[in-house]
Amino acid sequence: MATAWPEKDDHELLALIQDGNGQAFATLVERHTERFYRLAYRYLQSKAAAEDVVQDAFLKLWENPALWQPERNSKFTTWFYRVVVNLCLDLRKRKAPVALDEDMPLIDDREPVDETMVKIQEQKALEREIAALPERQRMALNLCFDEGLSNQEAAAVMGVKLKALQSLVMRAKTTLKERMKAYL
Amino acid sequence: MSDNRDEKLDRMLRSRRYEGASADLTQRIILKAQALPQNNTVSLWSWIRQLCVEFHLPKPAYVLASALVLGMVIGFSMPLDMSPGAEDNSVSVQNFLSADEALL
Repeated sequence: MATAWPEKDDHELLALIQDGNGQAFATLVERHTERFYRLAYRYLQSKAAAEDVVQDAFLKLWENPALWQPERNSKFTTWFYRVVVNLCLDLRKRKAPVALDEDMPLIDDREPVDETMVKIQEQKALEREIAALPERQRMALNLCFDEGLSNQEAAAVMGVKLKALQSLVMRAKTTLKERMKAYL
Repeated sequence: MSDNRDEKLDRMLRSRRYEGASADLTQRIILKAQALPQNNTVSLWSWIRQLCVEFHLPKPAYVLASALVLGMVIGFSMPLDMSPGAEDNSVSVQNFLSADEALL
């Protein structure tokens, strides 16, 4: 019996996409859109821009399926994180970074909204300070903490050595610890 | 104290919130893809790379094979009368013959 679509792994789906299979593409998009959107959102701090980046990334893959070369990339997600990161960087180069608004809404579907004001203030302060970090430190932090990638994977996504990645995370955390002193 | 601060910062970093994507984002991507044709043309370079991958050979083997092919191309493209030593041989044969004539 043929394997159901959701049971196929990424590599199987990508091989089918390279043969022009739309169902395989749809399965891959449904499986990974949220995580790549989250990364793009963290980086761009804009829902619309993050959605555009994720859409562009997936459409590029569909139009040029030969971009994925299994012999050169061990894991689809690591490779695609890199694609998304590069698109985010391109977008940032074209548009000047936007400063975070003091009253930036922090909407989340994951938890109920009955939180204390202190926690909300804490979150806002943290987002502001993260947005003020240098670009690469912010990216390293997002990959390691939000996406839960191992240091090795995050280093591969950013195209840096493991030690460099660790140093970026360390510097980001040191800065945050200093600037978030009042909340820690 | 510092450990507590580290832990709290880690906890805060792991529980950051974000504005969720539109519910129809996935469908939008899939629908747009349906309207786009796939570009399946394979460039010469990627074809060569694919060929190399098919052979599963280590890199030194490719270097050796390339050097061999290059050597053969250069060797075959060189004209015969330009090959080293050909001129020397003809000169020495002439010398030999003229030396014989001198004796006669």
